[in-house]
Amino acid sequence: MPATDTRPGTKTILVIDDDADFTATVRAVLEREGYTVVEAESGAEGLRQFRARHPDLVILDVMMESPTEGYGVNEAIKYSGDFDAFQQTPVIMVSSIQESPDDRYPRAPEVDMIRPDRYLTKPLDIPTFLEIVRKAVRH
Amino acid sequence: MDGAQRGEPIVVIDDDYAMRLACEQALAKVGYTVSTFADGAHGLEAVGTCKPGLVVVDLKMPGLSGLDVITRLHAIDPTITIIVITGYATISTAVDAMKAGAYDFLPKPFSPDELRLIVRRGFERRQLQLTSQQCEVERELQRRRFVTFVSHQLKTPLVAVHQYLDVLRQLGEAPEAAEKRQAWLSRCLVRTDELRRLIDDWLTLAQLEGGLLGRQRTRVDVDETITSVLRTYEGLGARDGITLTADVPEHCPVHGDPTCVGVLIDNLVANAVKYNRPGGTVTVRVQRAAGEVIIEVADTGIGVPADALPRLFDEFFRVRQPGVPKVEGTGLGLPICRRIAAEMGGVIEVESTEGAGSTFRVRLPDPEASPALATGRSA
Repeated sequence: MPATDTRPGTKTILVIDDDADFTATVRAVLEREGYTVVEAESGAEGLRQFRARHPDLVILDVMMESPTEGYGVNEAIKYSGDFDAFQQTPVIMVSSIQESPDDRYPRAPEVDMIRPDRYLTKPLDIPTFLEIVRKAVRH
Repeated sequence: MDGAQRGEPIVVIDDDYAMRLACEQALAKVGYTVSTFADGAHGLEAVGTCKPGLVVVDLKMPGLSGLDVITRLHAIDPTITIIVITGYATISTAVDAMKAGAYDFLPKPFSPDELRLIVRRGFERRQLQLTSQQCEVERELQRRRFVTFVSHQLKTPLVAVHQYLDVLRQLGEAPEAAEKRQAWLSRCLVRTDELRRLIDDWLTLAQLEGGLLGRQRTRVDVDETITSVLRTYEGLGARDGITLTADVPEHCPVHGDPTCVGVLIDNLVANAVKYNRPGGTVTVRVQRAAGEVIIEVADTGIGVPADALPRLFDEFFRVRQPGVPKVEGTGLGLPICRRIAAEMGGVIEVESTEGAGSTFRVRLPDPEASPALATGRSA
């Protein structure tokens, strides 16, 4: 369920993941830290929310409608030119698969385009995750 | 098993009529099917249609040479076993032929026994080659499917449960914990149940594919199975205002494994209820026509978009429609149905209109139409 309006002075984090349970726990830990959380259940919905809410950080699952949906969303945010000033928004990709985009697409010239700012495996180590989030939204 | 038993034809290409006749007689005598051709061009033309497992070709021919024939044969089908007939002074040519892909060579003159022996060895080698290739491909596919399955399908519910428990533990006695605990613990149970059902379904599919399940052939009264399944789903249907009806004649036997027939019908009815709408209907109909028993499960539910239909029976394929909430399920129900139908010598089809509903149709051989099946002979 999308969050209520952004509280002034807080950072907004967009969580794009098709597993509502995963999102529920991420929302709980982020809200406890004072962030405003917006959710999306698909890549398409995620891009819609990105455009509407201009989050300070995106947490993005890899496998959603398709096994590599997350990479497509990452590329859209950073390179499609649709998002102007918000291309610099940090993106943290998450997946239960222990694989980085470099491993998955070792020979693709576009691997630079699809490389997120961070790649974390699920389940998240919560303290580490929160530290990474803190650093990412500071910029 | 050699070519004669498998029914794979042999093609003989030789410009010498006497040689063609001798080869044909020697090989037909032990049961091979032989086609002969006087030149390479005609022989190659025929390969496409008669699909030989083995070709015997004379190296020295006018027109298209034996070597050319071998090279082209290889291009058509690299698995065809090739035996070259060579003249007494052409060992180096024979070596060239081997390099080009021939399996063995037979120098003239040779006896019918020598020909038969080399042909038999040729077929044996072919069998080994085909089996190992098949195994390799199958092994690779199995490995990849398993890796994808383990990585994602099994881990996803485990990840959810882990994070729920991890955060609950970290929250300790904090007020947020109290308000979230009940809801989250329920979700943990839902996800672990999901994981368990997933493993059960995966095992069912593996057992079906491995021949450990589904091979039994007893008489199963489909009408009774349907009655029993509908009774199971009556309560669930009533909760959502869905009516379940059966249009099934009293006498409807099929030949199969009773458990599997139950699973097949249960999966289809479960889907018909799950993907339905309040006030909708599920109708199970059985007909007998043209040597088949046709079981139809029709619903008035959300239907399937046309572009998703070809993939509907793929493992873990879920139709994602915007605005439609995710429906609970393992993603293996339909692949299991397809497998069970196939084990019984039948097929499963689907017709669907998005927004209106779907009809799944299982066609099984009618044991009462074919006397051979009715004897209960095991497959």
